[in-house]
Amino acid sequence: MDEIIRQAQQGSEVAFEQLLNDCYDRMYHYALKWAGNRANAEDITHQACLKLTRGLSQFRFESSFNTWLYRLVVNCALDWQKAHLRHTYDDIETADLSTTSYGNAEADIHLRQVLTQIEKLGEGYRETVLLVFGEGLSHREAGEVLNVRESTISWRIHEIRKRLNPVKEGGSK
Amino acid sequence: MNDEELKQLFSNSEAVEPSPDAKRRAMSAAMSEFKVMKPANAAIENKRGIFQGILNWLRPTVESTVEARGQAMNTTTHSRSAFSLSNHKWHIAGVSTVSVLFLAVMLADIENTGYVLQRQSLTESDLTSAPAINTDRPVWLEDGGDSGGALEMRQQVEMMAKQPLERSFVLAERVDSVIQPKYQLELGGDGLFEKMETLNSESRSDFTITPGQLLREHAPTSSYRDEGRDRFSSYEAQPIKSVTTEPISTLSIDVDTASYSYVRRQLNQGVMPKTNAVRVEEMLNYFDYDYPVPTSGNVPFTIFTNVVDSPWRAGNKLVHIGIKGFEIAPSEVPSSNIVLLLDVSGSMRNYDKLPLVKQSMELLISQLKPDDTVSIVVYAGAAGVVLEPTPAREKTTILASLQRLESGGGTDGGEGLKLAYKLAKVNYRDDAINRVILATDGDFNVGMSSNESLKDFVSRKRDEGIFLSVLGFGEGNLNDALMQTLAQNGNGVAAYIDTLSEAQKVLVDQATSMLFPIAKDVKIQLEFNPRTVSEYRLIGYETRNLKNEDFANDKVDAGDIGAGHTVTAIYEITPVQSNSGLLPNSRYAEAEQPRHDPKATEYGYLNLRYKAPEEEISRLISQPISIDAEDKPNDSLNRETYFATAVAGFGQLLTGGKYTGTWDFDSALALAQANKGDDPYGYRTEFVQLIRKAKLAENR
Repeated sequence: MDEIIRQAQQGSEVAFEQLLNDCYDRMYHYALKWAGNRANAEDITHQACLKLTRGLSQFRFESSFNTWLYRLVVNCALDWQKAHLRHTYDDIETADLSTTSYGNAEADIHLRQVLTQIEKLGEGYRETVLLVFGEGLSHREAGEVLNVRESTISWRIHEIRKRLNPVKEGGSK
Repeated sequence: MNDEELKQLFSNSEAVEPSPDAKRRAMSAAMSEFKVMKPANAAIENKRGIFQGILNWLRPTVESTVEARGQAMNTTTHSRSAFSLSNHKWHIAGVSTVSVLFLAVMLADIENTGYVLQRQSLTESDLTSAPAINTDRPVWLEDGGDSGGALEMRQQVEMMAKQPLERSFVLAERVDSVIQPKYQLELGGDGLFEKMETLNSESRSDFTITPGQLLREHAPTSSYRDEGRDRFSSYEAQPIKSVTTEPISTLSIDVDTASYSYVRRQLNQGVMPKTNAVRVEEMLNYFDYDYPVPTSGNVPFTIFTNVVDSPWRAGNKLVHIGIKGFEIAPSEVPSSNIVLLLDVSGSMRNYDKLPLVKQSMELLISQLKPDDTVSIVVYAGAAGVVLEPTPAREKTTILASLQRLESGGGTDGGEGLKLAYKLAKVNYRDDAINRVILATDGDFNVGMSSNESLKDFVSRKRDEGIFLSVLGFGEGNLNDALMQTLAQNGNGVAAYIDTLSEAQKVLVDQATSMLFPIAKDVKIQLEFNPRTVSEYRLIGYETRNLKNEDFANDKVDAGDIGAGHTVTAIYEITPVQSNSGLLPNSRYAEAEQPRHDPKATEYGYLNLRYKAPEEEISRLISQPISIDAEDKPNDSLNRETYFATAVAGFGQLLTGGKYTGTWDFDSALALAQANKGDDPYGYRTEFVQLIRKAKLAENR
């Protein structure tokens, strides 16, 4: 992997294409979980690909490429959201949401609700849960991606658990 | 909810792979940027060159402003006025603009339709205030609760639940006509009703009390199911044809049964199946009929014809054509070289997918002879050989490798197919049936994924002597059209397996017919006699029409018959002078007097062509369909005919009942009930139950 990145940084089109190909699916999966629907996820990933192109030369092998890639797509998603929030609610958005397309619509809607709840806990929580539970990153890795301390991630996960599991009685099925 | 459940929730959502189109667009955009950047990179690393500046201007970036982007777009493409009015998404890069615009317009259109339908339903029930239900967010319950109050919402939801099916069909139809197939069924699922489903689901919400929880307790227990992404080709029912203008009808036989299982599944869930999911011929051929068994091995099957009165239109007759393939004696069963090609992509995780696949494959393997060989190839994001060709006697080895399979990743079915064929080829046995058996829940979304290229590939391999059968599993992602295409071109069957007992039927009870073809490219041509028949209509077989000139053309592929298969086709005819026809009489046609020549005693003449499995030249069988043969068949054959009639009638009712008049589910029920016969496996009893369920689902 490192070799491919190096070649791409030196301008090899073949290497770069392979790199893109490898990265696209990973970024897309994150974006899909983040955005909840295909159209928005594709847009975010598209943007992330462009950003990857421009930013690749700045990758210095100091962190793992994976971490770097997650940081990139996390930022793209946030930028996307910022830009999107400026606009009023319109038909297009409604339609976008209705094309939500996970394998399992019920689980999907449930996931959306969980994420909405988690988001209310504060900034960074949604990313945290996506990286740790969705992508399987360790707290340290997630901390690197989000540029916060490992303990912050652990705290957030703790808060999320509290939120999702308020009482131990019949509530959780 | 604990961590495990949360993880599960995330992994459930991995089923959707990126669309190849979007990926290609994103990659090509990035590649072209990369090419432009290369010189710039080499020269100045942290400064942007002129090229790039222009590029950034054309291709919006995070740094540039929305306004600048709007301008940039206004200078580069034509059709964006609508776009910029309705949608300010900033991220649309040049390459993807057109397609995204297309999507956006389409979606807006659909959304409007949905909205109109909703409004209509609200007015109907005299609800004075109608909070916007279609806010289209998972959290809409909370929003709605604020504006309308829980009770009122509950009323609305219940009221809408009463007629969901009908409405979703209307919407689905409109959607069909507007947009590309890719989206039609995704959207056909109609977001509104999917949301209603969530009200009923048990599995969600551990959060604070919302109006939604109140709703959940009172909402109807079964309502719309998510079936939105199962894909079916659309078709029109066979039209009525005039014998004077089109005396000849040609069709390819079909031994598939997938449609019946799918319909059964839907009805068991209390939902009427989509019209396009119902193929009458597959329902007909799901059942084994007790037709006369061939006695000699010269002709591999018998043809049985019977003419009975049409139950749904007085005066009309039904011409019943039944074909029965000969049974291979257990000692003569040829050896098999089987490659199991199993889809283990992320979407196969559900209990009715991979776990059922494993159980089904165990059943299949239990049917094999000791010296048959089995190999297993799996595919997800990539394809791999799990089991090299292994004799069936080493059952533990085979079963162990089956049990190890786990699901996850993408769906590169094309690659899997190639690998499976390669393995079948390596282990090719002249004296055996070489067959790939594909088990999947639907789509091939990576690599060679167009139906056309897959079709060509499969039919080339068929000519090399390797056949393909397709077993469909689960729901939600089923690609019916692809299954059909592959099986039809691979000289195999397409079956849909929803339960273990269905697996038993397809893989054990009918194992020989699934595995051993006795005749291939079986085509039926029926020429009607204009002196005795004025019009006719073939029931079902919409996807199996052949051109009349292709009947004798041995290059044209058609359906295959396995050992012991029965195939049934039914024509509805209007005899001359019965006045029960639907086509207008011609004012100028000469009124023909029935003459006393021998042919006036025939309704028509049946020609059938088939090829022996290893031959390339077809053989012809012909026999007349006589008028006075109407009451010749014995009681048991008439019973089989009537039962088939009930199935055909039921199938037509499910597809809208265009030609069945006042004949309804009750009539179908009575006819099927009276003609169940021995029914050793209970399939016919189940069918009777299905009619009852359809009646309930229809009235819901």
